[in-house]
Amino acid sequence: MSEEQHIGIPGYLAVFAFLFIATIVTYVVALQDLDGMFFPGTNTLVALAIAFVKMTAVVLFFMHVRWQSRLIWLAVVSGFFWMAIMFAYTMQDYLTRSVIGF
Amino acid sequence: MENVDSINTGEGQGEEKVNYLTNGFSIKSWLLTKDHKRIAIMYLISVSVFFFIGGIYASLIRLELLTPASDLLESGTYNKVFTGHGVIMVFFFLIPAIPAILGNFLLPIMIGAKDLAFPRINLLSLYIYWVGGAFTMYALLQGGVDTGWTFYTPYSTTFSNSYVMAVGLGVFINGFSSILTGLNFIVTTHTMRAPGMTWFRLPLFVWAHYATSLVMILGTPVVAITILLLAVERFTQTGIFDPALGGDPILFQHLFWFYSHPAVYIMILPSMGVISELMSSFSRKKIFGYEFIAFSSIAIAVFGFLVWGHHMFVSGQSIYAGLVFSFLTMVVAVPSAIKMFNWTATMYKGSVSYDTPMLYAIGFLGLFLVGGLTGLFLGSIGLTVHLTDTYFIVAHFHYVMVGGTVLGYLGGIHYWWPKMTGRMYSEFWGKISAMLVFIGFNLTFFPQFILGYQGMPRRYAAYPEEFQVLNIFSTAGASVLGIGMVLPVIYLVASLINGKKAGDNPWLLPGLEWRTSSPPPTFNFEETPVITWEAYSFGEESGLDIDKARRESRVSPTA
Amino acid sequence: MAQHDNHDDHSHPPGLQHQFDDMGQQMDSVTIGMWTFLAQEIMFFGGLFTAYLVFRSRYPMAFAAGSNILDAFWGWLNTLVLIVSSLTMALSVYYAQKGNRNLQVIMIVLTMVFGSVFLGVKAIEYTDKYTHGHIPVDGWNMVVPEGEHGEDHSESATLTLPFETRVEAAEAGKDPHPNPRGEFQISDKEVELVTLAQEEGFLTETEKVGYFNNRGEFDRDKFTDKVQIFFWIYFVMTGLHALHMIVGLGIMLWLLYKAWKFTFSAEYYSPVEISGLYWHFVDIVWIFLFPLLYLLGRHFLAGGH
Repeated sequence: MSEEQHIGIPGYLAVFAFLFIATIVTYVVALQDLDGMFFPGTNTLVALAIAFVKMTAVVLFFMHVRWQSRLIWLAVVSGFFWMAIMFAYTMQDYLTRSVIGF
Repeated sequence: MENVDSINTGEGQGEEKVNYLTNGFSIKSWLLTKDHKRIAIMYLISVSVFFFIGGIYASLIRLELLTPASDLLESGTYNKVFTGHGVIMVFFFLIPAIPAILGNFLLPIMIGAKDLAFPRINLLSLYIYWVGGAFTMYALLQGGVDTGWTFYTPYSTTFSNSYVMAVGLGVFINGFSSILTGLNFIVTTHTMRAPGMTWFRLPLFVWAHYATSLVMILGTPVVAITILLLAVERFTQTGIFDPALGGDPILFQHLFWFYSHPAVYIMILPSMGVISELMSSFSRKKIFGYEFIAFSSIAIAVFGFLVWGHHMFVSGQSIYAGLVFSFLTMVVAVPSAIKMFNWTATMYKGSVSYDTPMLYAIGFLGLFLVGGLTGLFLGSIGLTVHLTDTYFIVAHFHYVMVGGTVLGYLGGIHYWWPKMTGRMYSEFWGKISAMLVFIGFNLTFFPQFILGYQGMPRRYAAYPEEFQVLNIFSTAGASVLGIGMVLPVIYLVASLINGKKAGDNPWLLPGLEWRTSSPPPTFNFEETPVITWEAYSFGEESGLDIDKARRESRVSPTA
Repeated sequence: MAQHDNHDDHSHPPGLQHQFDDMGQQMDSVTIGMWTFLAQEIMFFGGLFTAYLVFRSRYPMAFAAGSNILDAFWGWLNTLVLIVSSLTMALSVYYAQKGNRNLQVIMIVLTMVFGSVFLGVKAIEYTDKYTHGHIPVDGWNMVVPEGEHGEDHSESATLTLPFETRVEAAEAGKDPHPNPRGEFQISDKEVELVTLAQEEGFLTETEKVGYFNNRGEFDRDKFTDKVQIFFWIYFVMTGLHALHMIVGLGIMLWLLYKAWKFTFSAEYYSPVEISGLYWHFVDIVWIFLFPLLYLLGRHFLAGGH
């Protein structure tokens, strides 16, 4: 425990600056019509991608997972994996309602 | 009487050491205890109370179904009775039964720990269970709920005139008891193992509880949020489950079964853990295929999350999703079958003794086999259309839940009773009751397979006359089953008063829990054990002197 | 009460509980315990996100309408506030590890301040929804009698005004939303979204059934029901998130007391650490709620077209 398991004050400030900028970016980008520029759903994709990157920064540095054991990594990943299971298997019903005559 | 004399001898010097039961007698020393064993005993009493309340509901159901007409209970009351039976049995008996009683008591002892990692959270989870239970009982007595234990929308949100929110809230609260227990088990298994207790030296009971805890942690919050949504929707009369407002009742079913199917594995996995212990112990043989049983528990926990849609085959879910869920349901049968093969292989060429716990365990094998195989009927998307909402389903899940969980639970209670209380129960009455349970159970539920196949729908107070004969069989069986369930209460309690002293190791077994005194001291072991042997090793390497153990034990059931 | 004394042979470090052998084991246990709890929390919110996902995929335009009704500025501000509070929380863990009690206390106080600001902003938003008829329960909104407002306010013209102007208008008693029964209501501006989507041809099959009547005509009531679903989900999600914030503030209060009493040191700081994990988790939930609730679909009205 005595070894430094954090990134120090400059590191924390850097992560904060990144989160701050990302928040501004996500707001600005949301007002642009990326769907029209690229393909439908780009806006959603970009917003979620930014949120995901922000989350990763918080998890790794503010929550110190970067220095944690494999077990903690497993707990984090399995939490999200199970949520993904819930999304995927629920949506496989909703998105296929019209596929086979239903 | 000698026990009473020696209570105050104190520091573990005399023959009668201070154990967890004699370490303080005040009510406060129980209600504010942090000792996992005392908490387990309090769970044992509370869960038994709920079991008998659920049993009263069950007998009402069976009495009503004795005659084709709806004469004892009118339909509305009947709805409330079967809902009460389901809610009490599922949420307040089956889910906490083995983890909260046997798991709580044994998991720390089996891994050589002083206590669970978070004793206060453990006590908190008991209190949450009490609050949730009291809340639910109050609502059930005030007028009950008539939605079925599944609370399907939009009936539960819009139309039902019963205490849906109160009962739902009770279930919601109770969920956190389950979550906290699971959390405690996971952390304890990871960090509290004694020196030398590697993962592959853990008893399979611990593996099973670890898998159960995973399901508790990852599943229970979903049902909590689902019931919360249901309560908010019922309160505001707008929301996301009412099709009249553009909502979707199927979403409720998805969310509900995302937990409630894995919840079936919360019920059965700990029971499988008990059976693994019993099979090895009473065959006096190393368990066959340790790794397979261990990993099949984890596999069941994981795959159990992928099959919930098989409850929704005829609910309006897409056919494509039905196919996927049907296939995965077949897949989840594989790890269960692996366990069955390994248990029977353990008995093969073992020195099998038919003590009461083993009778329950063998009963489990038969009943779980029938329950599991009929599960395949219901998991196949074509046949299930015929069988949905008939007594076939009722029979199937009672074979798994009662034949699986309750038999494992009773077997475990008998097996560890000498460890928990230091007393031996009457072997004669134990065998009688195990037989009664097995016979009564089959007589109750096997006719229901036939009834269901012939098309008798579930959840009705009245039925056509041609179904009466089989229903009389079923009610007769339920009476036998009832006697078989009441008997253990009598002779187990009697054993506390006049039971023989059990000794530390009455079954002459190498497991860690049998190497501490009976009942165990407050911190489980006099000194932290160091494990140098593999699990279930009966030979020299276990360091167990069978002759010495036999001399020290006052009863020798294998003799 | 009789106790086994063999555990008290060696002196206990402060904060070590009886069931553990040493501080390392205790630290490992509480960390794993907290992460297990957070996995549980992920699934708890996961149920809500699933509901969001299902309905958003069914009624994208109704959800876009809901996003446009919400005031993204407040949501954006709250995101920043929470990020700052996450920073101060991380720093309070840092100073706890360093044994710097004064800075630790300051950081905890700052975290609480920002947490309270977040809740304050949330209260402003909720009040705004109340006055404008956006609470998704009929009868729970502010009752605005008909006919007390100047005739010169044509609804659609006023509603395109920025939020601040609308608030001023409301304060001046010129609220343009007559709402005599306190019902949930939407404005013409949101309806435009459906027209837009219909023209561009990206209405989904479920939307064609969901917003239109049997004769294929747009049915405003049916559309309003779907926007109402958005707001129902919005209130449940943000409400539960706010509840977690309140619990977090309670934990902070306890931490503050403990830190004030010089409890934490380089050897024993796990309560700060795991409280921090909880706080950051609540922050992460908001990081997702912000784009999902406030931003998606905003480009339909803000951007080109």
